[in-house]
Amino acid sequence: MPDADVAAFLATVPLLEGRAEPDLADLARVMRPRTAAAGDVLWHQGEEAREVLFVVEGALTATLQVPGERTVEIGRAGPGQIVGEIGLLDGRGHTMRVQAAEPTTLLALGRLDFEAMLRGRNPAAFALKRRLAALFTTRLRTQLRLLAGTLGGDAAAAEAPALADLEQCRPPDSRYMRRMATFHDFDPLALWGFLTSGTYVRCPPGRTLVAEGTPSPAYFLTVNGAVERVLVRGDRRIRVGLAGPGKAFGYEGLIDGLPSPLAAVARERSVLLVLPREHFDELFHKEDAVARVFLEAIQRDLLASLRHTLRPAARLAASV
Amino acid sequence: MCRILAYLGEPLLARHVLFDTDNSLVRQSYSPRMMNTFLNLAGFGMKAWDPTSLRPEEPFTYRATTLPTFDRNLRYMAAKIAPTCLLAHVRGVTYSGESVVAETNLHPFQFPGTRVTLMHNGHLRRFATMRYALVEHVDPALAQRIEGTTDSEWIYALILSQLADPYGVPETRELADATAAALRILRRVRADHGIDTSSPVNVCLSTGRSLVATRFSFDYGWYPPEDEMLETDLPFVSLWYAIGGEYAEQDGGWGMTAGDPPRSVLIASEPLTTDSTSWLEVPEYSMLTAELGPGGLEFETRDLDA
Repeated sequence: MPDADVAAFLATVPLLEGRAEPDLADLARVMRPRTAAAGDVLWHQGEEAREVLFVVEGALTATLQVPGERTVEIGRAGPGQIVGEIGLLDGRGHTMRVQAAEPTTLLALGRLDFEAMLRGRNPAAFALKRRLAALFTTRLRTQLRLLAGTLGGDAAAAEAPALADLEQCRPPDSRYMRRMATFHDFDPLALWGFLTSGTYVRCPPGRTLVAEGTPSPAYFLTVNGAVERVLVRGDRRIRVGLAGPGKAFGYEGLIDGLPSPLAAVARERSVLLVLPREHFDELFHKEDAVARVFLEAIQRDLLASLRHTLRPAARLAASV
Repeated sequence: MCRILAYLGEPLLARHVLFDTDNSLVRQSYSPRMMNTFLNLAGFGMKAWDPTSLRPEEPFTYRATTLPTFDRNLRYMAAKIAPTCLLAHVRGVTYSGESVVAETNLHPFQFPGTRVTLMHNGHLRRFATMRYALVEHVDPALAQRIEGTTDSEWIYALILSQLADPYGVPETRELADATAAALRILRRVRADHGIDTSSPVNVCLSTGRSLVATRFSFDYGWYPPEDEMLETDLPFVSLWYAIGGEYAEQDGGWGMTAGDPPRSVLIASEPLTTDSTSWLEVPEYSMLTAELGPGGLEFETRDLDA
């Protein structure tokens, strides 16, 4: 596949939308073409991630392997879509087995080149981070829909409290925040900028902060305590994740403009950093050091959420 | 913090889970994958039930404060015993002069004359403040048998004290209920003493025919300032399980084979292999119970709301 054809294909990839032609030409030079026959396994679940794959033609399936030698198909990727970026970004191995569903043509981009695209402080790097956040949000919604389907029924109508109803409190000690793994790598000034961009609230256990199917009022980050991210259908519920210190919730709908895909309910008494929608939008779309910290935090959180969401899926599949 | 391993099912050579896998329990003493800021160097303990042994209702016991990876006796022994039930523990303590590394502090705990054993992965913060308030909830005869300095041994005595007969073999349901009741008592005593900081209580109990395990924490997410355990505790203390036919080596890797109904279960602080495909994470705030029955292994998960 000539570089010019590769660059032309890359121009059609939604993740790279808006990237300048010289950038795409550079990228085309480091891409490696590959083909896969139907049934070929491109990698196994848990294997170390070394590259991302762009689907040029054909289709791939992503399958979760669960105990009892069972498998569950979680998603498919067709032309213009990418696979493999989760394991590459969090360094924890591939989340699922990926296999060609039909004869497939691919372009592979190695770890260093993919990371280089994200590393810069240029507009293209910021745009890519935002698109990745949107892509991960879409994938998270797909996984949550699969889980919700196992419960049957519809989400109960519920209302989360208005932000004004939450009891405001003082910010936490910044030394405590810096010790959280979420913020280890962050520049202290940028972290301070992020931590002072919102307000802090207390909430008692059992309080619903985000209701499924309704617009989320804010981005929340747990400072102390823990908040359950749950799917509820009647008296049945699946806990999808637990947002403990340093973990965020409530932001999916702020990224893609859709209603919240799940509810968030305080499990422990909690102190939360709250960024209302307008503050979230501002940080999400800015291109400075604080926004970089923020986008990094969102990316890490989404990657963790995608992994956590597979855990109840695996338990359910194993129990069938 | 510590690492735990529990097994119930088909006879299984102890060496396989203690030494052979690429994230075996002994390896987790010096290289835990899910707790990489903290090592478990304060000793090893094991209880193993073998129905073909003399007095099969009594477990084989081994405890040593030496590092298990250098313990040849443990290696020789692990290559000879194939229990149907196993509890094994590597102990981690804070790196300070206040920690007591002693044989009496090694898990699993089992008081003379009792049939229930317990091991613990976690710690009750400010335990010294609440320790003696627990006395009123512990059978005096059991309280007298506490030899060590750990919160874990008190948790054990407290759970035993909730049983109708602390010296008998409780039904799995009764043992689970006693564990939940003990957690409720701990919550009340903590509240009475103004203790409101994160205290993980992943315990595992066994009678040799059943297992009860919790993945639980009081006040998760709350820490005292400058706490030395903070970074270890920030994630919810982990617990995993693998359930199926038997734990075996196949295609060059260790894993649980398919089994319907299941015949064996492994419960561990972290998967025993770097490939965790055959492992499932225990949900936070929950309890697992497993029992060997005539039709196979009966296994349940329930929410804990202590």
